[in-house]
Amino acid sequence: MAYLKDQRRETMMVEGSWNIGAYRYKGSTQLQEYVDGLKEKKLIGSLCPGCGKVIVQPRNICGRCHRRMDKRMVVSHKGTITCFVISPPIEKGKYKIIGMDPVEAGIIQEGAILVPVFVRFDGADSNINTILLNSSPEQVHIGMRVKAVFVENPEGKLSDLEGVEPLKE
Amino acid sequence: MQRRVAIVGYAQSEYQEDVPRTREDQVFDVVKAALRHAGILREEVDSVVTASSDFLDGRTISNVFLSMAVGAYQKDESKVEEDGTGALLYGLMRILAGTHDVVTVEAHTLASTINPHQILFYALDPLFDRQVGLMNDIAASAIQARMYMKKYSVPEEAVAMVSVKNLANAALNPLTHRKMPDLTVEEVLNSKIYYDPIRELMIPPITDGVCALILASEEKAREITDNPVWIEGVGTCVDSYLRERNLTQLESLQKAAAQAYEMAGIKDPYREIDVFEVSERFAHEELMISEALGLAREGRGQVLIEKGLTGLDGEIPINPSGGALSADPICATGLTRVIEAAKQIRGEADSHQILGVTRALAHGQFGICAQKNTVFVLGGDR
Repeated sequence: MAYLKDQRRETMMVEGSWNIGAYRYKGSTQLQEYVDGLKEKKLIGSLCPGCGKVIVQPRNICGRCHRRMDKRMVVSHKGTITCFVISPPIEKGKYKIIGMDPVEAGIIQEGAILVPVFVRFDGADSNINTILLNSSPEQVHIGMRVKAVFVENPEGKLSDLEGVEPLKE
Repeated sequence: MQRRVAIVGYAQSEYQEDVPRTREDQVFDVVKAALRHAGILREEVDSVVTASSDFLDGRTISNVFLSMAVGAYQKDESKVEEDGTGALLYGLMRILAGTHDVVTVEAHTLASTINPHQILFYALDPLFDRQVGLMNDIAASAIQARMYMKKYSVPEEAVAMVSVKNLANAALNPLTHRKMPDLTVEEVLNSKIYYDPIRELMIPPITDGVCALILASEEKAREITDNPVWIEGVGTCVDSYLRERNLTQLESLQKAAAQAYEMAGIKDPYREIDVFEVSERFAHEELMISEALGLAREGRGQVLIEKGLTGLDGEIPINPSGGALSADPICATGLTRVIEAAKQIRGEADSHQILGVTRALAHGQFGICAQKNTVFVLGGDR
Protein backbone atom coordinates (compact mmCIF):
# COMPACT_ATOMS: atom_id res chain seq x y z
CA MET A 1 0.00 0.00 0.00
CA ALA A 2 1.31 3.38 -0.94
CA TYR A 3 2.17 5.80 1.80
CA LEU A 4 0.17 8.93 0.89
CA LYS A 5 1.61 12.31 1.75
CA ASP A 6 -1.74 13.82 2.67
CA GLN A 7 -2.32 11.06 5.23
CA ARG A 8 1.02 11.67 6.88
CA ARG A 9 0.97 12.82 10.50
CA GLU A 10 3.72 14.01 12.77
CA THR A 11 5.30 11.25 14.85
CA MET A 12 5.82 12.00 18.50
CA MET A 13 9.50 12.13 19.38
CA VAL A 14 11.50 12.43 22.55
CA GLU A 15 14.69 14.42 22.92
CA GLY A 16 17.80 12.33 23.37
CA SER A 17 21.47 12.96 23.77
CA TRP A 18 24.46 10.65 23.63
CA ASN A 19 26.82 11.91 26.30
CA ILE A 20 29.14 9.03 26.91
CA GLY A 21 31.98 11.17 28.13
CA ALA A 22 35.65 11.17 27.34
CA TYR A 23 37.56 8.16 26.08
CA ARG A 24 41.14 7.40 27.05
CA TYR A 25 42.86 5.70 24.13
CA LYS A 26 46.07 4.06 25.24
CA GLY A 27 49.11 5.22 23.34
CA SER A 28 52.21 3.29 22.64
CA THR A 29 55.75 4.23 21.81
CA GLN A 30 55.35 4.80 18.07
CA LEU A 31 53.58 8.17 18.25
CA GLN A 32 56.19 9.55 20.65
CA GLU A 33 59.04 8.28 18.49
CA TYR A 34 57.51 9.86 15.39
CA VAL A 35 57.03 13.32 16.93
CA ASP A 36 60.49 13.15 18.53
CA GLY A 37 61.78 12.65 14.97
CA LEU A 38 59.80 15.62 13.67
CA LYS A 39 61.47 17.81 16.29
CA GLU A 40 64.76 17.07 14.54
CA LYS A 41 63.10 17.40 11.11
CA LYS A 42 63.38 13.67 10.58
CA LEU A 43 60.68 11.36 9.19
CA ILE A 44 60.62 8.13 11.22
CA GLY A 45 59.16 4.87 9.98
CA SER A 46 59.01 1.31 11.29
CA LEU A 47 60.86 -1.55 9.59
CA CYS A 48 59.39 -5.04 9.48
CA PRO A 49 62.11 -7.64 10.11
CA GLY A 50 60.02 -10.13 8.11
CA CYS A 51 59.16 -8.48 4.79
CA GLY A 52 61.51 -5.49 5.03
CA LYS A 53 58.73 -2.99 4.43
CA VAL A 54 59.09 0.46 5.95
CA ILE A 55 55.86 2.04 7.20
CA VAL A 56 55.71 5.83 7.71
CA GLN A 57 54.18 6.95 10.07
CA PRO A 58 55.40 4.02 12.18
CA ARG A 59 53.17 1.15 13.21
CA ASN A 60 54.00 -1.51 15.81
CA ILE A 61 52.64 -4.57 14.03
CA CYS A 62 53.11 -5.89 10.51
CA GLY A 63 49.87 -7.61 9.52
CA ARG A 64 51.44 -9.41 6.53
CA CYS A 65 54.10 -11.12 8.61
CA HIS A 66 52.19 -10.96 11.93
CA ARG A 67 55.33 -9.69 13.58
CA ARG A 68 56.35 -6.77 15.73
CA MET A 69 58.07 -3.92 13.91
CA ASP A 70 60.50 -2.86 16.59
CA LYS A 71 63.15 -1.32 14.33
CA ARG A 72 62.92 2.35 13.31
CA MET A 73 64.19 3.89 10.08
CA VAL A 74 64.67 7.48 8.92
CA VAL A 75 63.32 8.06 5.41
CA SER A 76 64.03 10.84 2.91
CA HIS A 77 62.39 14.28 2.91
CA LYS A 78 61.82 13.76 -0.79
CA GLY A 79 58.88 11.77 -2.07
CA THR A 80 56.28 11.18 -4.75
CA ILE A 81 52.58 12.01 -4.82
CA THR A 82 50.67 8.75 -5.26
CA CYS A 83 47.20 10.26 -5.08
CA PHE A 84 45.48 13.60 -4.49
CA VAL A 85 42.11 15.20 -3.84
CA ILE A 86 41.07 18.76 -4.77
CA SER A 87 38.88 20.35 -2.12
CA PRO A 88 35.84 22.54 -2.78
CA PRO A 89 36.41 26.26 -1.97
CA ILE A 90 36.88 26.50 1.79
CA GLU A 91 33.96 28.35 3.42
CA LYS A 92 33.96 30.14 6.72
CA GLY A 93 32.17 28.24 9.48
CA LYS A 94 32.09 24.95 7.59
CA TYR A 95 35.27 23.20 8.66
CA LYS A 96 37.07 22.66 11.90
CA ILE A 97 40.73 21.77 12.16
CA ILE A 98 41.98 20.93 15.69
CA GLY A 99 38.82 22.50 17.07
CA MET A 100 39.08 25.85 15.25
CA ASP A 101 37.79 27.37 12.07
CA PRO A 102 40.87 27.76 9.82
CA VAL A 103 39.31 30.70 7.93
CA GLU A 104 38.42 32.55 11.12
CA ALA A 105 41.87 31.82 12.55
CA GLY A 106 43.44 33.36 9.42
CA ILE A 107 45.31 30.16 8.47
CA ILE A 108 43.39 29.73 5.23
CA GLN A 109 41.75 32.43 3.10
CA GLU A 110 38.04 32.09 2.42
CA GLY A 111 37.52 30.53 -1.00
CA ALA A 112 40.95 28.89 -1.05
CA ILE A 113 41.23 25.44 -2.55
CA LEU A 114 43.32 22.83 -0.72
CA VAL A 115 45.01 19.78 -2.17
CA PRO A 116 45.22 16.87 0.29
CA VAL A 117 47.73 14.35 -1.00
CA PHE A 118 49.08 10.88 -0.34
CA VAL A 119 52.89 11.01 -0.44
CA ARG A 120 55.31 8.10 -0.49
CA PHE A 121 58.62 9.36 0.83
CA ASP A 122 61.73 7.79 -0.71
CA GLY A 123 62.61 4.71 1.35
CA ALA A 124 59.05 4.18 2.59
CA ASP A 125 56.55 1.53 1.50
CA SER A 126 53.45 3.35 2.69
CA ASN A 127 51.74 6.67 2.10
CA ILE A 128 51.48 9.62 4.42
CA ASN A 129 48.35 11.73 4.36
CA THR A 130 49.23 15.45 4.19
CA ILE A 131 48.63 18.73 2.29
CA LEU A 132 50.30 20.04 -0.88
CA LEU A 133 51.65 23.57 -0.33
CA ASN A 134 53.06 26.22 -2.69
CA SER A 135 51.39 24.64 -5.71
CA SER A 136 47.98 24.67 -7.38
CA PRO A 137 45.21 22.27 -8.44
CA GLU A 138 46.39 22.78 -12.04
CA GLN A 139 49.94 21.66 -11.27
CA VAL A 140 49.30 18.64 -9.04
CA HIS A 141 49.59 15.22 -10.67
CA ILE A 142 50.23 11.62 -9.69
CA GLY A 143 53.97 11.04 -9.78
CA MET A 144 54.76 14.67 -8.88
CA ARG A 145 58.01 14.92 -6.92
CA VAL A 146 57.70 16.76 -3.61
CA LYS A 147 59.64 17.45 -0.42
CA ALA A 148 58.59 17.78 3.18
CA VAL A 149 57.90 21.25 4.61
CA PHE A 150 58.54 21.64 8.34
CA VAL A 151 57.67 24.59 10.58
CA GLU A 152 60.64 26.85 11.34
CA ASN A 153 61.02 25.73 14.95
CA PRO A 154 59.66 22.21 15.40
CA GLU A 155 58.45 21.43 18.92
CA GLY A 156 57.84 17.70 18.68
CA LYS A 157 54.18 17.90 17.59
CA LEU A 158 52.29 16.32 14.69
CA SER A 159 51.81 19.85 13.27
CA ASP A 160 55.60 20.21 12.89
CA LEU A 161 55.16 18.67 9.43
CA GLU A 162 53.16 21.34 7.58
CA GLY A 163 52.89 19.43 4.33
CA VAL A 164 54.85 18.95 1.14
CA GLU A 165 55.79 21.28 -1.73
CA PRO A 166 56.97 20.71 -5.31
CA LEU A 167 60.59 19.61 -5.53
CA LYS A 168 62.81 21.28 -8.10
CA GLU A 169 65.35 18.59 -9.07
CA MET B 1 27.02 -32.52 14.88
CA GLN B 2 28.02 -33.54 11.37
CA ARG B 3 31.62 -32.50 11.75
CA ARG B 4 33.46 -32.57 15.06
CA VAL B 5 35.16 -29.35 16.05
CA ALA B 6 37.83 -28.91 18.72
CA ILE B 7 39.63 -26.18 20.60
CA VAL B 8 43.32 -26.76 19.89
CA GLY B 9 44.99 -23.76 21.50
CA TYR B 10 44.29 -20.68 23.58
CA ALA B 11 45.78 -17.75 25.42
CA GLN B 12 44.67 -15.01 27.77
CA SER B 13 46.19 -11.72 28.80
CA GLU B 14 46.73 -10.99 32.43
CA TYR B 15 43.49 -9.26 33.44
CA GLN B 16 44.29 -5.89 34.97
CA GLU B 17 42.63 -2.64 35.77
CA ASP B 18 44.50 -0.19 33.57
CA VAL B 19 46.99 -1.60 31.07
CA PRO B 20 49.21 1.13 29.60
CA ARG B 21 49.41 -0.36 26.10
CA THR B 22 47.43 0.02 22.89
CA ARG B 23 44.58 -2.30 22.09
CA GLU B 24 46.50 -3.58 19.05
CA ASP B 25 49.62 -4.40 21.08
CA GLN B 26 47.61 -6.38 23.63
CA VAL B 27 45.56 -8.27 21.04
CA PHE B 28 48.69 -9.09 19.00
CA ASP B 29 50.47 -10.65 21.98
CA VAL B 30 47.50 -12.82 22.96
CA VAL B 31 46.71 -14.02 19.43
CA LYS B 32 50.38 -14.78 18.87
CA ALA B 33 50.43 -16.75 22.15
CA ALA B 34 47.29 -18.69 21.19
CA LEU B 35 48.85 -19.67 17.85
CA ARG B 36 52.01 -20.68 19.70
CA HIS B 37 49.98 -22.72 22.20
CA ALA B 38 48.36 -24.56 19.29
CA GLY B 39 51.74 -24.87 17.61
CA ILE B 40 50.56 -23.45 14.29
CA LEU B 41 51.38 -20.45 12.12
CA ARG B 42 49.04 -17.65 11.10
CA GLU B 43 49.23 -19.00 7.54
CA GLU B 44 47.35 -22.13 8.65
CA VAL B 45 44.35 -20.10 9.87
CA ASP B 46 41.44 -19.82 7.40
CA SER B 47 39.15 -17.41 9.18
CA VAL B 48 39.15 -14.97 12.09
CA VAL B 49 36.15 -14.00 14.21
CA THR B 50 36.45 -11.30 16.86
CA ALA B 51 34.16 -10.00 19.59
CA SER B 52 34.19 -6.43 20.86
CA SER B 53 31.94 -3.42 21.16
CA ASP B 54 32.31 -0.25 19.10
CA PHE B 55 31.16 1.81 22.08
CA LEU B 56 33.64 0.19 24.45
CA ASP B 57 36.41 0.36 21.85
CA GLY B 58 35.55 4.01 21.19
CA ARG B 59 35.52 3.67 17.41
CA THR B 60 32.99 2.66 14.83
CA ILE B 61 33.59 -0.54 12.88
CA SER B 62 36.25 -1.16 15.49
CA ASN B 63 37.70 -4.23 13.79
CA VAL B 64 39.06 -2.11 10.91
CA PHE B 65 42.29 -1.26 12.66
CA LEU B 66 42.47 -4.57 14.52
CA SER B 67 42.70 -6.90 11.53
CA MET B 68 46.49 -6.83 11.33
CA ALA B 69 47.06 -7.42 15.05
CA VAL B 70 44.58 -10.30 15.20
CA GLY B 71 46.22 -12.00 12.21
CA ALA B 72 43.31 -11.49 9.81
CA TYR B 73 45.28 -9.72 7.07
CA GLN B 74 44.07 -11.03 3.67
CA LYS B 75 41.80 -13.59 5.34
CA ASP B 76 38.10 -14.19 5.88
CA GLU B 77 37.19 -12.03 8.89
CA SER B 78 34.10 -10.98 10.81
CA LYS B 79 33.16 -9.51 14.15
CA VAL B 80 30.33 -9.93 16.64
CA GLU B 81 29.25 -6.92 18.66
CA GLU B 82 28.72 -8.91 21.84
CA ASP B 83 30.25 -11.58 24.06
CA GLY B 84 33.08 -13.78 22.80
CA THR B 85 30.92 -16.91 23.08
CA GLY B 86 28.99 -15.40 20.14
CA ALA B 87 32.24 -15.19 18.18
CA LEU B 88 33.00 -18.79 19.09
CA LEU B 89 29.57 -19.82 17.80
CA TYR B 90 30.27 -18.06 14.47
CA GLY B 91 33.66 -19.72 14.24
CA LEU B 92 32.09 -23.11 14.95
CA MET B 93 29.48 -22.49 12.25
CA ARG B 94 32.17 -21.65 9.70
CA ILE B 95 33.84 -25.00 10.32
CA LEU B 96 30.54 -26.92 10.42
CA ALA B 97 29.61 -25.34 7.10
CA GLY B 98 32.66 -27.06 5.64
CA THR B 99 34.07 -23.83 4.22
CA HIS B 100 36.87 -23.40 6.77
CA ASP B 101 39.03 -25.73 8.84
CA VAL B 102 40.99 -23.55 11.27
CA VAL B 103 39.53 -20.43 12.89
CA THR B 104 40.98 -17.89 15.32
CA VAL B 105 38.41 -16.55 17.79
CA GLU B 106 39.41 -13.41 19.70
CA ALA B 107 37.59 -11.21 22.21
CA HIS B 108 38.59 -8.14 24.18
CA THR B 109 37.46 -5.13 26.15
CA LEU B 110 39.73 -2.51 27.62
CA ALA B 111 37.32 -1.02 30.09
CA SER B 112 39.87 1.60 31.13
CA THR B 113 39.13 3.29 27.78
CA ILE B 114 35.71 4.23 29.12
CA ASN B 115 33.65 3.10 32.09
CA PRO B 116 31.35 0.42 30.62
CA HIS B 117 28.52 1.33 33.00
CA GLN B 118 28.32 4.73 31.25
CA ILE B 119 27.74 2.95 27.96
CA LEU B 120 25.21 0.45 29.25
CA PHE B 121 22.77 3.23 30.09
CA TYR B 122 22.34 3.58 26.32
CA ALA B 123 21.24 -0.03 26.02
CA LEU B 124 17.98 1.06 27.64
CA ASP B 125 14.85 1.86 25.66
CA PRO B 126 15.12 5.58 24.71
CA LEU B 127 11.37 6.29 24.78
CA PHE B 128 10.61 5.31 28.35
CA ASP B 129 13.42 3.88 30.47
CA ARG B 130 16.12 6.32 29.47
CA GLN B 131 13.84 9.18 30.46
CA VAL B 132 14.23 8.01 34.06
CA GLY B 133 17.81 9.06 34.67
CA LEU B 134 18.45 6.77 37.61
CA MET B 135 17.87 3.61 35.60
CA ASN B 136 21.04 1.85 34.43
CA ASP B 137 22.51 -1.64 34.22
CA ILE B 138 23.33 -1.85 37.93
CA ALA B 139 19.94 -0.50 38.99
CA ALA B 140 18.24 -3.00 36.67
CA SER B 141 20.25 -5.84 38.17
CA ALA B 142 19.34 -4.61 41.64
CA ILE B 143 15.69 -4.87 40.64
CA GLN B 144 16.35 -8.41 39.41
CA ALA B 145 18.23 -9.34 42.58
CA ARG B 146 15.47 -8.01 44.82
CA MET B 147 12.71 -9.77 42.85
CA TYR B 148 14.63 -13.04 42.90
CA MET B 149 15.59 -12.83 46.57
CA LYS B 150 12.06 -11.87 47.64
CA LYS B 151 10.31 -14.55 45.59
CA TYR B 152 12.50 -17.41 46.79
CA SER B 153 13.47 -16.09 50.25
CA VAL B 154 17.14 -15.95 49.36
CA PRO B 155 19.12 -14.34 52.20
CA GLU B 156 21.70 -11.74 51.22
CA GLU B 157 24.29 -13.91 53.00
CA ALA B 158 23.83 -16.56 50.27
CA VAL B 159 24.50 -13.93 47.61
CA ALA B 160 27.55 -12.68 49.49
CA MET B 161 28.85 -16.27 49.73
CA VAL B 162 29.15 -16.32 45.93
CA SER B 163 31.54 -13.35 46.09
CA VAL B 164 33.47 -14.97 48.94
CA LYS B 165 33.88 -18.23 46.99
CA ASN B 166 34.79 -16.69 43.64
CA LEU B 167 37.19 -14.07 44.97
CA ALA B 168 38.97 -16.72 47.05
CA ASN B 169 39.22 -18.95 43.96
CA ALA B 170 40.61 -15.94 42.09
CA ALA B 171 43.54 -15.85 44.48
CA LEU B 172 44.65 -19.16 42.96
CA ASN B 173 44.39 -17.87 39.39
CA PRO B 174 47.43 -15.81 38.35
CA LEU B 175 45.50 -14.07 35.55
CA THR B 176 42.72 -12.39 37.54
CA HIS B 177 43.04 -9.08 39.36
CA ARG B 178 40.51 -9.04 42.18
CA LYS B 179 41.87 -11.65 44.56
CA MET B 180 40.53 -11.82 48.11
CA PRO B 181 41.56 -15.11 49.72
CA ASP B 182 40.37 -14.15 53.20
CA LEU B 183 37.15 -12.32 52.33
CA THR B 184 34.20 -12.87 54.67
CA VAL B 185 30.44 -12.66 54.15
CA GLU B 186 30.35 -9.73 56.58
CA GLU B 187 32.93 -7.83 54.54
CA VAL B 188 30.89 -8.32 51.36
CA LEU B 189 27.73 -7.15 53.12
CA ASN B 190 29.58 -4.14 54.55
CA SER B 191 31.12 -3.12 51.23
CA LYS B 192 29.91 0.08 49.58
CA ILE B 193 26.26 0.03 48.56
CA TYR B 194 25.55 0.72 44.87
CA TYR B 195 21.88 0.05 44.36
CA ASP B 196 20.42 -1.90 47.26
CA PRO B 197 20.83 -4.92 47.58
CA ILE B 198 23.86 -4.76 45.26
CA ARG B 199 27.17 -3.88 46.85
CA GLU B 200 30.66 -3.19 45.55
CA LEU B 201 31.93 -6.73 46.10
CA MET B 202 28.94 -8.20 44.27
CA ILE B 203 29.94 -6.46 41.00
CA PRO B 204 33.00 -7.23 38.89
CA PRO B 205 35.88 -4.77 38.84
CA ILE B 206 36.66 -2.65 35.77
CA THR B 207 38.92 -4.86 33.67
CA ASP B 208 41.20 -4.66 30.64
CA GLY B 209 41.61 -8.04 29.01
CA VAL B 210 42.07 -10.02 25.84
CA CYS B 211 41.67 -13.72 25.12
CA ALA B 212 41.83 -15.88 22.02
CA LEU B 213 41.46 -19.51 21.04
CA ILE B 214 42.05 -21.62 17.96
CA LEU B 215 39.28 -23.88 16.63
CA ALA B 216 39.84 -26.70 14.19
CA SER B 217 37.90 -29.37 12.34
CA GLU B 218 38.45 -32.94 13.58
CA GLU B 219 40.89 -33.78 10.82
CA LYS B 220 43.00 -30.67 11.45
CA ALA B 221 42.67 -30.97 15.21
CA ARG B 222 44.21 -34.45 15.15
CA GLU B 223 47.14 -33.07 13.14
CA ILE B 224 47.62 -30.10 15.46
CA THR B 225 47.33 -31.66 18.94
CA ASP B 226 47.15 -34.88 20.93
CA ASN B 227 44.92 -33.16 23.41
CA PRO B 228 41.91 -31.62 21.60
CA VAL B 229 38.97 -30.23 23.56
CA TRP B 230 35.81 -31.10 21.64
CA ILE B 231 32.75 -28.92 21.40
CA GLU B 232 30.12 -31.50 22.30
CA GLY B 233 27.15 -29.20 22.57
CA VAL B 234 26.13 -25.59 22.08
CA GLY B 235 22.99 -23.58 22.67
CA THR B 236 22.14 -19.90 22.49
CA CYS B 237 18.98 -17.99 23.24
CA VAL B 238 17.88 -14.39 23.73
CA ASP B 239 15.09 -13.22 26.01
CA SER B 240 12.77 -10.23 25.67
CA TYR B 241 13.63 -6.72 26.74
CA LEU B 242 13.91 -5.97 30.45
CA ARG B 243 10.38 -4.86 31.31
CA GLU B 244 8.39 -7.71 29.83
CA ARG B 245 10.75 -10.42 31.05
CA ASN B 246 10.36 -12.76 34.00
CA LEU B 247 13.38 -11.43 35.85
CA THR B 248 13.34 -14.07 38.57
CA GLN B 249 14.50 -16.81 36.23
CA LEU B 250 16.96 -16.90 33.34
CA GLU B 251 14.60 -18.54 30.87
CA SER B 252 16.83 -17.90 27.85
CA LEU B 253 19.68 -19.65 29.66
CA GLN B 254 17.40 -22.63 30.47
CA LYS B 255 16.66 -22.95 26.75
CA ALA B 256 20.30 -22.48 25.70
CA ALA B 257 21.41 -25.11 28.22
CA ALA B 258 18.69 -27.53 27.13
CA GLN B 259 19.90 -27.22 23.50
CA ALA B 260 23.51 -27.78 24.50
CA TYR B 261 22.65 -30.76 26.74
CA GLU B 262 20.60 -32.40 24.02
CA MET B 263 23.38 -32.01 21.49
CA ALA B 264 25.94 -33.40 23.94
CA GLY B 265 23.59 -36.20 25.03
CA ILE B 266 23.51 -35.02 28.64
CA LYS B 267 20.56 -36.09 30.75
CA ASP B 268 21.80 -35.15 34.23
CA PRO B 269 24.21 -32.20 34.17
CA TYR B 270 24.83 -32.49 37.93
CA ARG B 271 26.38 -35.93 37.47
CA GLU B 272 27.68 -35.74 33.93
CA ILE B 273 29.52 -32.40 33.96
CA ASP B 274 32.59 -32.05 36.16
CA VAL B 275 33.09 -28.29 36.28
CA PHE B 276 31.24 -25.11 35.34
CA GLU B 277 32.64 -21.77 34.27
CA VAL B 278 29.87 -19.17 34.15
CA SER B 279 29.61 -15.42 33.52
CA GLU B 280 28.09 -14.12 36.76
CA ARG B 281 28.12 -10.39 36.16
CA PHE B 282 26.53 -9.92 39.60
CA ALA B 283 26.85 -12.28 42.56
CA HIS B 284 23.14 -13.17 42.67
CA GLU B 285 23.31 -14.20 39.01
CA GLU B 286 25.46 -17.23 39.82
CA LEU B 287 22.62 -18.65 41.90
CA MET B 288 20.15 -18.00 39.07
CA ILE B 289 22.58 -19.45 36.52
CA SER B 290 22.99 -22.66 38.54
CA GLU B 291 19.20 -23.10 38.51
CA ALA B 292 18.90 -22.40 34.78
CA LEU B 293 21.64 -24.94 34.10
CA GLY B 294 19.54 -27.56 35.89
CA LEU B 295 21.85 -27.96 38.89
CA ALA B 296 19.20 -26.90 41.40
CA ARG B 297 15.44 -26.57 41.45
CA GLU B 298 13.81 -23.16 40.84
CA GLY B 299 14.80 -20.78 43.60
CA ARG B 300 17.11 -23.30 45.29
CA GLY B 301 20.45 -22.15 43.91
CA GLN B 302 21.17 -20.85 47.41
CA VAL B 303 21.41 -24.42 48.72
CA LEU B 304 24.35 -25.17 46.41
CA ILE B 305 26.43 -22.32 47.79
CA GLU B 306 25.34 -22.83 51.41
CA LYS B 307 26.31 -26.49 51.30
CA GLY B 308 29.60 -25.75 49.55
CA LEU B 309 28.70 -27.89 46.53
CA THR B 310 29.98 -25.25 44.09
CA GLY B 311 33.32 -24.77 45.85
CA LEU B 312 36.66 -26.02 44.56
CA ASP B 313 36.23 -29.34 46.39
CA GLY B 314 32.45 -29.53 45.92
CA GLU B 315 30.39 -31.89 43.78
CA ILE B 316 29.85 -29.29 41.06
CA PRO B 317 32.58 -26.65 41.19
CA ILE B 318 31.43 -23.35 39.67
CA ASN B 319 34.04 -20.80 38.61
CA PRO B 320 37.24 -22.29 40.01
CA SER B 321 38.98 -19.54 37.99
CA GLY B 322 37.26 -16.81 40.04
CA GLY B 323 34.60 -16.08 37.46
CA ALA B 324 33.48 -12.69 36.22
CA LEU B 325 33.49 -11.26 39.75
CA SER B 326 37.28 -11.48 39.74
CA ALA B 327 37.83 -10.05 36.25
CA ASP B 328 35.24 -8.93 33.72
CA PRO B 329 36.69 -7.81 30.40
CA ILE B 330 33.07 -7.49 29.10
CA CYS B 331 33.23 -8.97 25.58
CA ALA B 332 36.02 -11.37 26.57
CA THR B 333 34.33 -12.65 29.74
CA GLY B 334 32.39 -15.53 28.14
CA LEU B 335 35.30 -16.63 25.95
CA THR B 336 37.52 -16.58 29.05
CA ARG B 337 35.06 -19.05 30.63
CA VAL B 338 35.42 -21.32 27.57
CA ILE B 339 39.21 -21.18 27.83
CA GLU B 340 39.10 -21.88 31.57
CA ALA B 341 36.80 -24.86 30.91
CA ALA B 342 39.17 -26.14 28.22
CA LYS B 343 42.11 -25.73 30.60
CA GLN B 344 40.30 -27.88 33.16
CA ILE B 345 39.81 -30.65 30.59
CA ARG B 346 43.43 -30.53 29.47
CA GLY B 347 44.67 -30.42 33.05
CA GLU B 348 46.33 -27.06 32.46
CA ALA B 349 44.55 -25.03 35.15
CA ASP B 350 47.44 -25.34 37.62
CA SER B 351 46.51 -24.20 41.11
CA HIS B 352 42.76 -24.03 40.43
CA GLN B 353 42.69 -27.39 38.62
CA ILE B 354 39.79 -29.69 39.52
CA LEU B 355 40.86 -33.33 39.51
CA GLY B 356 39.54 -35.71 36.89
CA VAL B 357 37.66 -33.30 34.64
CA THR B 358 36.49 -34.92 31.42
CA ARG B 359 33.53 -32.68 30.67
CA ALA B 360 33.06 -28.99 31.38
CA LEU B 361 30.48 -26.30 30.73
CA ALA B 362 31.14 -22.68 29.81
CA HIS B 363 28.58 -19.89 29.77
CA GLY B 364 28.60 -16.39 28.31
CA GLN B 365 26.00 -13.66 28.56
CA PHE B 366 25.29 -10.26 27.06
CA GLY B 367 22.76 -7.53 27.66
CA ILE B 368 21.18 -6.06 30.75
CA CYS B 369 20.20 -8.70 33.35
CA ALA B 370 21.69 -11.48 31.18
CA GLN B 371 19.28 -11.02 28.27
CA LYS B 372 21.23 -13.28 25.93
CA ASN B 373 22.92 -16.50 26.98
CA THR B 374 25.20 -18.96 25.23
CA VAL B 375 26.30 -22.34 26.59
CA PHE B 376 29.08 -24.62 25.43
CA VAL B 377 29.61 -28.17 26.63
CA LEU B 378 33.22 -29.26 26.15
CA GLY B 379 34.80 -32.67 26.44
CA GLY B 380 38.17 -34.33 26.09
CA ASP B 381 39.15 -37.58 24.40
CA ARG B 382 37.90 -40.29 26.72
